[in-house]
Amino acid sequence: MKERTHLFNLFEIISIITAAVVVVFTSVLILTIIVRGFPYLQEAFLSKEIQFSIKLSLYTASIATFICMFLGVPTAYALTRTSFPLKKLCQIIIELPLSMPYLVLGLSLLLIFSSDLGKALKELGFRVVFDKNGIILAQTVVNLPYVIRFIRTAFQEVDERLEFISGSLGASKWKRFTTITVPLSKNAIIATIILTWSRCLGEFGATLMLVGATRMKTETLTTSIYLNLATGDNGAAMASATIILIISFASLFITNWLGRKNSKESRMKDVTLR
Amino acid sequence: MNAMVEIKDFSIQLGSFKLKNINLNIFDNEIFAVLGKTGSGKTVLLESIAGFYRRFSGNVTIQGKSVIEIPLEKRKIGFVYQDFGLFPHMTVYDNICYGLKIQKMDKEKRKKKVAEMAEILSIEHILKQYPGTLSGGERQRTALARALVLNPKMLLMDEPFSALDPATKQSMYEQIKEIHKIFGCTILFVTHDFNEAQIMADRIGIMVNGELRGIRKSIDLFKKCQDEDINNFLCGNSRGEKDAI
Repeated sequence: MKERTHLFNLFEIISIITAAVVVVFTSVLILTIIVRGFPYLQEAFLSKEIQFSIKLSLYTASIATFICMFLGVPTAYALTRTSFPLKKLCQIIIELPLSMPYLVLGLSLLLIFSSDLGKALKELGFRVVFDKNGIILAQTVVNLPYVIRFIRTAFQEVDERLEFISGSLGASKWKRFTTITVPLSKNAIIATIILTWSRCLGEFGATLMLVGATRMKTETLTTSIYLNLATGDNGAAMASATIILIISFASLFITNWLGRKNSKESRMKDVTLR
Repeated sequence: MNAMVEIKDFSIQLGSFKLKNINLNIFDNEIFAVLGKTGSGKTVLLESIAGFYRRFSGNVTIQGKSVIEIPLEKRKIGFVYQDFGLFPHMTVYDNICYGLKIQKMDKEKRKKKVAEMAEILSIEHILKQYPGTLSGGERQRTALARALVLNPKMLLMDEPFSALDPATKQSMYEQIKEIHKIFGCTILFVTHDFNEAQIMADRIGIMVNGELRGIRKSIDLFKKCQDEDINNFLCGNSRGEKDAI
């Protein structure tokens, strides 16, 4: 018995040391950006180019996040709560981009929108290649499979029996969805929105393939880092990186804060599992 | 007596488990218990009657209509799960009020109805609490109130007393019988407790390995029959209970 306790403690110690290594490594990464970028931050905020890239990044990330949620929530519902032919195959196709390099996704978008279809859309006034619409499209395509995966997992975790009870109390499928499924996955949905927005903000590979990197035209914050590093302006690049970091911190903080705010009181709240 | 539920040649396969060739009639205003060991298929039978599953052979009808052809929201079934299935993000009041809100009942009427139910089940003091803070007995009363506030035609309960201590169980037996008198609905519940089945039910169905092997009046529960599995099950359990005493 004594030996087992000793082994358990050793395991705990090893896990804590591993966690400490991860924390130190991540802290060094973050601090490097902050320390190198902070001195240039004020100058960056006054720069028209950086202001443009912040606005473009916030605008495209917000629209792309909205589109991802608009498409992702019904898709996740269909995958978890309905049955239709070839459902498994559909799920594999939807989640396939998760394992694809973003450059490849960007390349396929470029090929599609450089074709006759793309030219026809351009003539109708919907420009994609080398346009900010392309940035939104690239961010959406890259993040949609993540949104579907996250929301699908959240819906799967909702006890279907609660929806069944809700139905037995007279609720239609729509009411069951809005009064039971969504509120019980609320934290996951909010976290998904914020994380998707952060990921859209940091998207680069697919965007670069589809819209290129043109100053003051398709220059998002990540593109700004790339352009400034390419021209040797390391300070501006670090400042852009710091801005992305600040936004990421803020979104992570909001996610955690909302998670804590929405947690329900429980009899088990003071119990620590030993 | 009219049959509230008619089950004819019902079979269902769920993974490796199979419910085989069930034939059963449950009558209006009856209290019927489904008795069996853990894993005998009691809950699956209950869920099948409620129309939880869509792929099966045979037929399950409620008041003459096939259960899966009636939309869930129009079946007028109250369902109480073993863990009571309360909505964790709603207070006790909102849980009870849920079905009334769906019916778009006037707010004042809703308040009155919930207050009446809360009084019958002695849960007035917990209406503002969330399910996570309630005891087993309080959760069960809340689940019952939520189901009964809509005056269902039938109340289905999956081992509703298993999580309760003996004293609470006794008082709940009385309360359910009282509720049955007040609301006059058909009650179907599953249990593995012989004593509970005898106290509560008019008739008892005995499940063994996915089959409904016998239906008896509750006073005849321990009568010997030709089915050795049933005799073994009943003797084993009663002996166990005596040993425990």
